[in-house]
Amino acid sequence: MREKSGKRRPQPGRAMLAAVMLFFFLGFFLLALNDGEWKSFLLAVLVPLIIFIGTAGMSKLFPSDQLLLALTNFLCALGVLVLYRLNPEKGMTQAGNYGVGVVCMVFCTYLVRYVSNWKWLTVLMVLGSAGLMVLPLLIGRETNGAKNWFYVGSVSVQPSEVVKLALLLCVSWLLSQRRFLLALLYVGMCLALLMLQKDLGTALLYYGVVLILLFAATGSRLLVLCGVLGAGGGAFAGYQMFAHVKRRVAIWLNPWADSQGAGYQIVQSLIAIVNGGFWGVGLGLGNASVIPEYYNDFIFSVILHEFGVIFGLIVLCMYLFIVIRGMMIAKRSRTVFHSLLAAGCTAMLALQTFVIIGGNIKLIPLTGVTLPFISYGGTSMGSSLCVIGLLQGVASRNEAGVNEDRELAMQGGGPL
Amino acid sequence: MSPQAYELISMLMRYIFVLIGLMIVWRSFRWLRRDARAYRKEMRSLPDAGLVGEMVNLATGEAQPLPREGVIGASRECDIRLKGPGIERTHARFAFEEGKGLKIIPLRRASVLLNGDALRGPGYALHGTQLELGGIPLRVRLFAGLNVPYPAPFGEQAAQPWPEEEDLERPPEWDGPQLAQPETEQEAYPYTGYEAPAPDSRDYDGHYTPDGQMTWQYAYSLDELNQAMERQNQQEQWQPVQPTDQVPDGEDQAYSAPPLRHRRRDRHA
Repeated sequence: MREKSGKRRPQPGRAMLAAVMLFFFLGFFLLALNDGEWKSFLLAVLVPLIIFIGTAGMSKLFPSDQLLLALTNFLCALGVLVLYRLNPEKGMTQAGNYGVGVVCMVFCTYLVRYVSNWKWLTVLMVLGSAGLMVLPLLIGRETNGAKNWFYVGSVSVQPSEVVKLALLLCVSWLLSQRRFLLALLYVGMCLALLMLQKDLGTALLYYGVVLILLFAATGSRLLVLCGVLGAGGGAFAGYQMFAHVKRRVAIWLNPWADSQGAGYQIVQSLIAIVNGGFWGVGLGLGNASVIPEYYNDFIFSVILHEFGVIFGLIVLCMYLFIVIRGMMIAKRSRTVFHSLLAAGCTAMLALQTFVIIGGNIKLIPLTGVTLPFISYGGTSMGSSLCVIGLLQGVASRNEAGVNEDRELAMQGGGPL
Repeated sequence: MSPQAYELISMLMRYIFVLIGLMIVWRSFRWLRRDARAYRKEMRSLPDAGLVGEMVNLATGEAQPLPREGVIGASRECDIRLKGPGIERTHARFAFEEGKGLKIIPLRRASVLLNGDALRGPGYALHGTQLELGGIPLRVRLFAGLNVPYPAPFGEQAAQPWPEEEDLERPPEWDGPQLAQPETEQEAYPYTGYEAPAPDSRDYDGHYTPDGQMTWQYAYSLDELNQAMERQNQQEQWQPVQPTDQVPDGEDQAYSAPPLRHRRRDRHA
């Protein structure tokens, strides 16, 4: 991170960036050797180039957190690589989503960096998110037991992914202004609409993030205890109310009881992971496409299958580093709003990753959320990169704050 | 490429991918540690980082650091904690605003007096403003260099902004008798009688030897000091003591004075 007038702090270095670029050059080159397609050769050059521009070039636009950028770019490109290997058409679409997502990320960074008055923007976002969340109920189609998508022409949109960003911004701002009741009303509205859509995975995500934000804003353990008890009560009620929740819990407890029916997904996922072993079967040699939703919910199983468990742990470490970095940004923030925003973004990424990876490896019941940066889908990729953009905006504000403190210290710094 | 050859290469590449992945993770970990260390070091050199001043409790004399924004109250999570029967758990919110000062917002109709006046809505405190929260008198002290209006005298509500340089009242022009300007060098330096130093040399207001050399008290460097001391020794006919290992006769203590020119002397004596 570097401000023009400021001191230079340690950077991840060119060696790391070169390693990331080499990884994807070798990956796409290997696929090109297999299929002999010119598109694969093109991607072998293009993807490392985009990573270079997206990491090193971004710091020219604003003082950015390069480690966060490098790790995010690695995960996004890994998604493109895995999807391209399984389904070249989806891989190319995902590469396009990645490009659009980077633009969204830059927009979000500038938004946080330059907007100071969030009052009217919050009102606008509250109204907009309410409108968006109602749309799937009116014009949406039911998929996998949930009615959380709607279609504009041939493009499918999942509004809960967009509202996720509005939720982070609005709740952080309302809590920083100590308007707890308004924040709870807004969250309650979002959760009620998600329950109507039967999108319980996203509802769980929203609830968890808001609970973390409430604790960060108030430091009240009683509130968190009530929240956890409320979540337990809600889960029990959901289990009693929705048939597909009961089915999912039953599959989680024993997928082998119906391995050709409802438990097919999770059984295939577990078989793929076991087949991969420690080192994987090798890129392009696996047969992970037998898993239903291999490109979306089960993409982590595909990675474990082709690259192995050790590489899976490396990917988990990368998510962990993103979370640690996000918390560092939150801790270094100068204002309550930015601190809460960074904490919320980090909590959102962490919870989402935990929920889907836990579902993939049968640690917790499977819920229909995407793996950030890697899963196929424009809305998911866009919203994940926007979350990183919000974090980058807070990081660049922190850097400006440190520079300001340095200047104040030069002027004496003591009371007037 | 034949499927067998591809299989061989792909199986070999598994290890390379893991190796590169491990390298990326190791580099990231190292960078995280280095950055955390660098940030801690930087914060140690900037002890007031993130603060805009301090809030002094006039009853106890205790000063608490004032962050950019936060809450004043009795609760554990408050940024500025006060204890007293009139203090609410969260009494007031504050936020520093550029060009305006410290915005104070009373919470839940808590009693806040700003320079003696009861605050019904948000109010701005400046450097030196006296607050009274639940009967506890506080003084706001803001750091120099912040973009805040000029603090008004105590008791006045309306704060004045910092005057611009061009608006400052200039001292009147001197219209009395003018001093005669020296025409010759002798007039300019009437009491020296020696050659004045060159205009671009450092003028030490007469701290020069009669031959125009600088005296040792105003030497800039070690070389100049040595030269000046040498000159002074010569003029005053001081004889520097030569260092010797031999103990002088009649002295039990092994002591010999260092050479005079190296002896530390009080410059302000």
